[in-house]
Amino acid sequence: MMPRCAVLFSALAILLPLSLHASELRPADQPIEQVIDHYVDALTKADEVPAASQTGDATLLRRLTLDLAGRIPTAREARAYTESTSASKRVELVDRLLASPDFAFHHRNELEEILLPNRRNDGEFRKYLLWAAEQNRRWDDMFRDMLTGNEDDEYQKAALQFVRTRIRDVDDLTNATSVAFFGVNVSCAKCHDHPLVEDWKQDHFYGLQSFLSRTYVTKQNAVLEKPFGEVKYTTREGVEKQAHFMFLTGANVEVASLELSGDEKKKLEEAIRKAEREDNAPIPEPQGDSARGKLVDVALRDGDNHFFAQNIANRIWQRMLGRGLVDPVDQIHSGNPASHPELLEWLARDLVTHGYDLKRLIRGIALSQTYSRSSEWSSASEPPRPEYFALAPARPLTPRQYALSLLVASRNSTHWDQDALQQPDRWRQERESLENSSNGWAGNFEAPTDGFQIAVDEALLFSNNDRIQNDLLRDSGDRLVGQLKAIEDDQEAINTAFLVINSRQPTDEESSAIREYLAARADNRPEALKQAVWALLTGPELRFNH
Amino acid sequence: MTRPGSYFSGSNDHGLSRRGFLGATAAGAATFAADTRLDGFKSEALAAELRKQNKNVILLWLAGGASQFETFDPKPGRPTGGPYRAIPTNATGVHISELLPRIAARMQHTAIIRSLYTKVTDHGGGATLMETGRRPAPGFSYPDIGAVVARELGRIDSQVPDYVSMYTSTEGRRKGTSGFLGARYSPMFLAENMVPENIRRLETISDIDHRDRAALRDVLAKRFNQTHQSSTVASQTTAYHRVRGIMASEKLFDIEQEPEAMRQKYGPLQFGQQCLIARRLIEAGVPFVKVARAWWDSHGQNFETHRELCADLDQAMSALLDDLAERGLLENTLVITLGEFGRTPNINASLGRDHFANAWSCSLSGCGIRGGVAYGRTDEDGHNVADGPVKAGDLFATILSALGIDPESEYYLGSRPLPLADFGSKAVKEVLA
Amino acid sequence: MALSDPTKLKKVRDFGVSGIAFCVARTPASGQLYFGHSDFKLYEVDALAEKPEPKAFTAAGHESYVTGVALSGKQIVSGAYDGRLIWWNAESKEVVRTVEKAHELWIRRFATSPDGALVASVADDMLAKVWDVESGKLVFTLKDHQTLTPNNYPSMLYAVAFSPDGKWLATGDKTGHIAIWEVATGKKVGELEAPVMYTWDPRQRRHSIGGIRSLAFSHDSQLLAAGGIGTIGNIDHLGGPSRVEVFDWQKGERKHEIEDSKLQGLVEQIEFDPSGKWLLAAGGDHGGFVTFYDVATGKMIHQDKAPMHVHQFAINEDHTEIFAVGHGRIAHFDFKSDRPAPPAAPPLPESA
Repeated sequence: MMPRCAVLFSALAILLPLSLHASELRPADQPIEQVIDHYVDALTKADEVPAASQTGDATLLRRLTLDLAGRIPTAREARAYTESTSASKRVELVDRLLASPDFAFHHRNELEEILLPNRRNDGEFRKYLLWAAEQNRRWDDMFRDMLTGNEDDEYQKAALQFVRTRIRDVDDLTNATSVAFFGVNVSCAKCHDHPLVEDWKQDHFYGLQSFLSRTYVTKQNAVLEKPFGEVKYTTREGVEKQAHFMFLTGANVEVASLELSGDEKKKLEEAIRKAEREDNAPIPEPQGDSARGKLVDVALRDGDNHFFAQNIANRIWQRMLGRGLVDPVDQIHSGNPASHPELLEWLARDLVTHGYDLKRLIRGIALSQTYSRSSEWSSASEPPRPEYFALAPARPLTPRQYALSLLVASRNSTHWDQDALQQPDRWRQERESLENSSNGWAGNFEAPTDGFQIAVDEALLFSNNDRIQNDLLRDSGDRLVGQLKAIEDDQEAINTAFLVINSRQPTDEESSAIREYLAARADNRPEALKQAVWALLTGPELRFNH
Repeated sequence: MTRPGSYFSGSNDHGLSRRGFLGATAAGAATFAADTRLDGFKSEALAAELRKQNKNVILLWLAGGASQFETFDPKPGRPTGGPYRAIPTNATGVHISELLPRIAARMQHTAIIRSLYTKVTDHGGGATLMETGRRPAPGFSYPDIGAVVARELGRIDSQVPDYVSMYTSTEGRRKGTSGFLGARYSPMFLAENMVPENIRRLETISDIDHRDRAALRDVLAKRFNQTHQSSTVASQTTAYHRVRGIMASEKLFDIEQEPEAMRQKYGPLQFGQQCLIARRLIEAGVPFVKVARAWWDSHGQNFETHRELCADLDQAMSALLDDLAERGLLENTLVITLGEFGRTPNINASLGRDHFANAWSCSLSGCGIRGGVAYGRTDEDGHNVADGPVKAGDLFATILSALGIDPESEYYLGSRPLPLADFGSKAVKEVLA
Repeated sequence: MALSDPTKLKKVRDFGVSGIAFCVARTPASGQLYFGHSDFKLYEVDALAEKPEPKAFTAAGHESYVTGVALSGKQIVSGAYDGRLIWWNAESKEVVRTVEKAHELWIRRFATSPDGALVASVADDMLAKVWDVESGKLVFTLKDHQTLTPNNYPSMLYAVAFSPDGKWLATGDKTGHIAIWEVATGKKVGELEAPVMYTWDPRQRRHSIGGIRSLAFSHDSQLLAAGGIGTIGNIDHLGGPSRVEVFDWQKGERKHEIEDSKLQGLVEQIEFDPSGKWLLAAGGDHGGFVTFYDVATGKMIHQDKAPMHVHQFAINEDHTEIFAVGHGRIAHFDFKSDRPAPPAAPPLPESA
């Protein structure tokens, strides 16, 4: 059994479609960032919650680069941003990063965590996601690709990995689809403990499952559908029921079944079984309605699309601000209201009216004042609760972000500074090879979860693993340690290390601590530099997006 | 903040010059330990009380599925019983297989449950069920018993690991999972070697440099940690502060430090040696140690396989019980002997037994357990539970109860309450002291 | 008198017995079988009867699987996993003599000397013991096999055979070690190793499987064949090639290593053809097999599936029929030649 999901489905029926609220929302043509700040500020003011001030240039650059490019900035980028006097430098930075090859790679990595979290590094699926990210494919189109992609299209076929990898467990496929695309963890509805509404809730779980249960995968990995098949289930009271094709909103959908005689059906079932098992078996021709196609249609239909739109808006919000407007992000229901319900509705509406353009939403968030608040809280008073978004959280990096950032930081920074590398094509190659190098490193770290705790294993890895010592901390010329070794002046070396690793200048205290350390180890300065770099690489400033 | 300059004397003598620096680190550790408290436990006072009692668990995991007929529920003379005899134990009326003579002589510590009824008969599914005490649900990742015990009985700033898992055979190897409790409670996993990974300082860095760079890290991290107060940020500091303690625990994995006579009691086999390591670990304060003995999956030659593996189990488990008892550790240490399922009554043509989960056995010894008891009963041929069926959740609740942890206390997943033992589970009172 | 032709192998009949039949002895020139069973009893059955009906010996006897049976005149000797030897009167079915703790651990198998005077038993106490059938006295205790495997687990002593001339006795254990003994003196006269029979899995499953399960001397006593199973990948199952090794034991030479991956499993018994042309190996895994090999070349002559895992068989005097017992069944096979026997054929020694 699973956690009691408090009144999950009793809420669905009264969750109102977007349009009913439209007139009360901020105007549709207002810039996203202004709408965000409007709603967030309104709540902090109303509840008299103190908010953190705006963060400084160095931290903002770092935060934006991690959120839009999935890595820390290079020293060159850090210098350029802090030295720029342009009044619109933040907008320029955001637009540059969103246009850079880095964005597509990072967006791919983030989507992968949502869509195939337990099967990272599925090469086919990653190929699809990168392709989609590079052309900023509409999110509704991606949904269609992943559920009903065309087997003859190289990329859509790869998109179907979403279904293919889960076909062995239709419960898992049902729940994963619901969680990833609708923000609703329906597994609760299999065994809810509210006796009065239990059947109705099961109707929803099995209703959703009905759309997916006809799916099968051939030995040759084609994702196909039977032209018939309904889901039956048994209630707690032992009553057997047949599920309807019903979406989470309660909308019933007609899905035709092919009328077949008993013999014809048997024959077709046998042919399907063969196709599932044998390489050379003929593939039965698809006929009639696609149940998965019908699910996509109803989920995107006006009046029923709020789950789909709110889910992705909420997830992008979580990506950028560390917490969903609805939290947890798989619990969209009225028993768990959004912290800023109008804002979520506005963002969802904006997505629908702007072609599910995720880049547009990300840009809007990145430009908001809400996004650029400081993460520091030094006042004696209690920090504001996270759902106010009045203080930026220190977010643990994803394994991928951490691995990429370690690789960027540990390299001799003049490598990244090369003019030739700044060309988008050249940079894309560089990024791709960085991605490849990060695969192994990323596997060493745990993906952040709610209430994430860093394990001692990670600290032991950094403390005693020879790859840290012999790769990241190597003192050859291509590494940061080698670069610092060649710098004679201690302070200059310290400044360089801080810029490369933490994207900022050291404070006087920090400088003197390291100078002191180097002086005490004057007998072996390269060793001492290596240890200073270690102390920075393992520090919280690199571990967290702050 | 004290000026970092004061940490150094500027002398060239490393040993002396940096002592002050290290002193500062220790102070830092104490501060963070005090700052770090996890949310979610119903009663922190109760948790603290439990931690004080230093309770521990050793799980002997019989991976692949040991036969109940050849261990704790013999059926001599029945068509399903196989060739082995039942022998009396030192508990009146309790007989077990002749393959476990030493365990039979120590039954005063042990309660047998003969009526496990868990139904899941694939290795992965069975292991997940028995490790977590509940069936998996899509979208949720449940912690296993090791992570739950580490969470309930471990100390956040512990200088030793709080969940060690050993599984050296490769078949069916599972690390164990802390699920939603997070990586802090993940097991320290020993797979290929008897010593954990990354526990030993590399020769390319001196001990003093190793300490000093950690101290420098603390100095540089201090401002960030002070201005970013979250349990996640604090967990990184805690993790780094635990490094030296964990490294010092390397010796716990070294059984060469035990007298020869003690090592002989545990025998020359790896499972016995790992049980000895387990004792060393819990003695040093590690709350949960799992020793997996794989692979019992005797589809062919069940009786030969059990001749070998029961000999292994008998020596290792009895040595462990003796050793714990002699050290006064047994009353605070629960020893669980369990696998993912049992084996079929039917003996197949390869003289094997297959997967079976409708009526099988496990044992609990030591802490909180009424010894000398056999709970539950299977029918004459061992096909079904005849009396007192025990589900995975009930066993989980029994284990928690034996440790003094309320099985009905709850974790909160966001706003969702989740009892430690599955909904509707009941501890088997008859095996509890 | 009939001639044998392995290619003519066919199952004449088979019938079910509940449980597992582990061992068999046959009254000469008949289908009268005595077999030991997993229900701890000894049974008698006429396998040639129209409707074979196994009848259990009712006297209290063994307390575990009955794995050894020998018939010598009117006496039957049985041995079991309970370590006990029991002498029975073949007619009255009464217990004549019981040797408690003949072995400390499971008795795995018996061999009867060609003259029927001696019975040799092997057991997991790793001892071979030679008994005088008439008096029930222990003649020799033969000690050579290690009690622990090289990996420190209890070993097992599975196989024993007398040579047809009655001079030699061979014993084979789990690790593939074979000892050869002089029957007259109880002295060890030779050793052979067949280590492939023993699969130790040090990494995946960390236990072992296999062992020498059968031994047989050729009729000139020159060759010794050992049967078992080849290397197994997944030791959860008997999924390895059935295996026979043939030695010229006095020279210490291995002449053949024969493996069959088609019909897999343990070779539970081997029998040589008196003329020295073929040897017959039977056994199984979940299924069973009967396979003939050419003694000169080591090549397979013919094989067939058995309807069950064969634990043991009794061969007739002509070496043209076998009565096999095993998992849940008893099967009668025939491999007589179509050619008439030459009139001057010498009489064949009787099989035990």
